[in-house]
Amino acid sequence: MANAFELEDLTKKFGSVVALDKVTLAIPERRVVGLIGRNGSGKTTLMHHVVGLQLPTHGRCTTLGEPAATLGSEQLAEIGVVWQESRFLDWMTVERHIRYVASFYRRWDREREQRLLHELELETNKRVGTLTPGNAQKLGLILAVCHHPRLLLLDEPMSALDPISRRQVLAFLLELLHEDEVTTVISSHVLRDIEEIVEWIVCLDRGRVSVDCSLDSLQERYSEWVVTSARPLARSFEEPWILEQRTNNHKAHLMVRDAEDRIESFEGKYEVQVHSQPLNLERIFPLLHHRRNP
Amino acid sequence: MVVVIDPHSGVPVFRQLRDQIRFQIVSGMLKPGDELPSTRALSAELGLNPMTISKAYSYLEMDGLVEKRPGLCLVVNELADDDIDTRRVMQFRHSAKPVAAIARQLGLSRQKALEIFAETLDGTDGAGAASASEEVG
Repeated sequence: MANAFELEDLTKKFGSVVALDKVTLAIPERRVVGLIGRNGSGKTTLMHHVVGLQLPTHGRCTTLGEPAATLGSEQLAEIGVVWQESRFLDWMTVERHIRYVASFYRRWDREREQRLLHELELETNKRVGTLTPGNAQKLGLILAVCHHPRLLLLDEPMSALDPISRRQVLAFLLELLHEDEVTTVISSHVLRDIEEIVEWIVCLDRGRVSVDCSLDSLQERYSEWVVTSARPLARSFEEPWILEQRTNNHKAHLMVRDAEDRIESFEGKYEVQVHSQPLNLERIFPLLHHRRNP
Repeated sequence: MVVVIDPHSGVPVFRQLRDQIRFQIVSGMLKPGDELPSTRALSAELGLNPMTISKAYSYLEMDGLVEKRPGLCLVVNELADDDIDTRRVMQFRHSAKPVAAIARQLGLSRQKALEIFAETLDGTDGAGAASASEEVG
């Protein structure tokens, strides 16, 4: 399978600040990726590099087979982007703005456009400058997907949406992903949204890739153990694969990594019973930033 | 076939799917010869990636619970009686674990726990909906 984009040993510095630090990452076509990380971890900078808006200090980025720095109109026409803070031509009406953007694309899908306007309840006669942040995001999304991109980059696309609009956008994205089989990178702090649509997780931690694996395997690596014993428990358990622990007399909660095979020996060693529970992405996220992580 | 997926439970979605279908086969809700929905149909119905469905299906196939028939979808296999029994016991053992953990956390005696379980099984525990929603753990 070809890669939609790949970064090779890419470093980006802004003065003395290292925004991306020797990032090597390959995203195959049709993969749906959740790009997660704390504020300032480099998510937006990474997306900027993929479309050639910023150039690396070292290393390279290749997008749709071309160097990202020199993407031609042909490649750019196959990319859709929603930036966290979209810039529009505020004086245009929604309708005029859509027509304006549509005129750049040969493959503009008027039917999809109309359906989205209707489903997302966006009024077309409003001036773009008067839209609420939520409606501006909806417009951004419509402008990013109606030309059937092969690569879709969504940077916090739903941060300003209310819960109902958010459901609508999520449902639409799911449909789009299945219909167009578009390679998608979506960054968001709302990990519940991410969890619903992505199959792959890339986590950035201070400019470095700390996780690059399927959501399934991430969910299988991390879990919470509820440890119980008839006798009072030790104050803490010293095992390198325990990332966090809270213990009181007869019960302990441990956050563990790669420990499914260790249950039996742990039970024997400490004379306890272990019940292992799954963790969702929201609860795994802090563990990814634990200093005990490799 | 009804399956309910919770994307926020932390259990990989393919596992949820596999486990629910497996339960339905082992419990007899799905019968030998029954067809599973096509990957495409189920992914549309549940709003899931078709790859996730294929992954769950291939596990069921490897497990000998379903079989691909030429030109057909996956079909539930006929299982030997002792095989079904073993699988039912395994399934129940697995489900009993968290209950046992709670009994230990509550410090119930073995005898008391077994007594309650027997009553629950017979439907003579008298506990209504009132206590059913209490969070434990």
